[in-house]
Amino acid sequence: MRFKILTWIWILATAATLGAAADPPRTNSAATTAIRSDAQADAMRIEGEKRFRANCGRCHAAPHKFPPRMMATIVRHMRVRATITDEDMRLVLFYMTQ
Amino acid sequence: MHSSRKNLRRRCARLRTAKCRVHILLLFCLTPALLFAQTYDSAAPVPILTGNAGFFTNVQAGTPQIVSEVNPVVLLPLGERWLIESRGAFEGDFQPKDGNGPFGGSVAKELDYLQADFIANPYVTVTVGRFLTPFGIYNERLYPIWIRCLQPEPLILPLEEGSSNGAMLRGGFPLNPAVNLNYAAYFSTLTTTNGIDSDRDVGGRIGFFLPGPRIEAGVSWQKSLQDERTNAFGFHFAWQPTAVPVNLRSEYARSYAGSGYWVEAAYRLSQVNFWRHAMRRTEIVGRAQQLFLGQASEDEDSEYDLPSANTRQADFGVNYFLRDGLKATASYGRQFSSAGDFNLWTVGIAYRFAVPLGRAQ
Repeated sequence: MRFKILTWIWILATAATLGAAADPPRTNSAATTAIRSDAQADAMRIEGEKRFRANCGRCHAAPHKFPPRMMATIVRHMRVRATITDEDMRLVLFYMTQ
Repeated sequence: MHSSRKNLRRRCARLRTAKCRVHILLLFCLTPALLFAQTYDSAAPVPILTGNAGFFTNVQAGTPQIVSEVNPVVLLPLGERWLIESRGAFEGDFQPKDGNGPFGGSVAKELDYLQADFIANPYVTVTVGRFLTPFGIYNERLYPIWIRCLQPEPLILPLEEGSSNGAMLRGGFPLNPAVNLNYAAYFSTLTTTNGIDSDRDVGGRIGFFLPGPRIEAGVSWQKSLQDERTNAFGFHFAWQPTAVPVNLRSEYARSYAGSGYWVEAAYRLSQVNFWRHAMRRTEIVGRAQQLFLGQASEDEDSEYDLPSANTRQADFGVNYFLRDGLKATASYGRQFSSAGDFNLWTVGIAYRFAVPLGRAQ
């Protein structure tokens, strides 16, 4: 009986994981692949800098850029801490990792 | 002889069953983790050890005090939507014994937060665990020593409960291109364990941010569900004009224990035309604040770490940013109250560190 329950939990956990992996939220990599031209990238960079100054500058001075994987964690942390919007998070992440 | 063989066989059978269970457990635990690992790309977030450390010398009413502080923060991202985050506080306050002897004191240890965040969608993040109480802006966003412009804390900070144990919904989203809305709603349970204590209450905060003029305003509310079942509320306002490098911030709070406000202005001297290299790194700060005691008894005031009488205070300070994350700071303040006026001097250094706990590139 316990084995059956464990098996079902395992199946459900695996299915949920697969579901989450198949439908990830828009991330930096998704944003990067969506860029069709340098002009778009420049526009995103400018907008990202603007959002960075507006959002991050509310509390602290601009830090130096961190490596991309660190930046991805920091931006996720700041999204929760400073309740910045999803779009602002993606643009700031793009700007900070270029 | 026969019974000992039987026992041995039983033990072997139990061992095999235990082994089987361990394998199932491992399979159960590792499969989702491996699947997550497969979804990582080159920019997948990496766990980080960050935080700040500081060393300060205060002279309050002629009494020197040495404060050393470390606040490690661990950020552990899981998959695309999860973040486990935690901050500890280790603070040593040392004063001369008997007013004139060698310095002595204790090190206070506290868990500021240990929370699991699940980013459910662009509008909602679910947080469970111990988290910083979302009341006003100082406690959640301006408290770290490398962020705050003046090291002495605002007088009204004790009115804003530090941490809560429970669950919270929060998020931020654009209402239109000119206005972003952010919110937090939570409940907290009563915990009396030393170092992770919290009260039983509910509350929330709602704020509006105008990215164009960089103006932020909001209101906070908290309802205690224990003792006198009191209400507390507060307002906050912040403005960073685009034309000049000024940060204006303000908070008002009112609760059973008292009410008060602080107004702070910080000006980065980057537009000054002489000694440009040094001026770009220098910030001057001023803050005015006032506290009016409420209905709490003297014992409760002491428990909340509130002054014993209505108090006014003015502070002036200067910060010099030596490099990214490292700043030297100094301030002078004067406190006025019927219990006695005194000066408050602070000089020190604050450092923010960030180290990846894995491959960062």
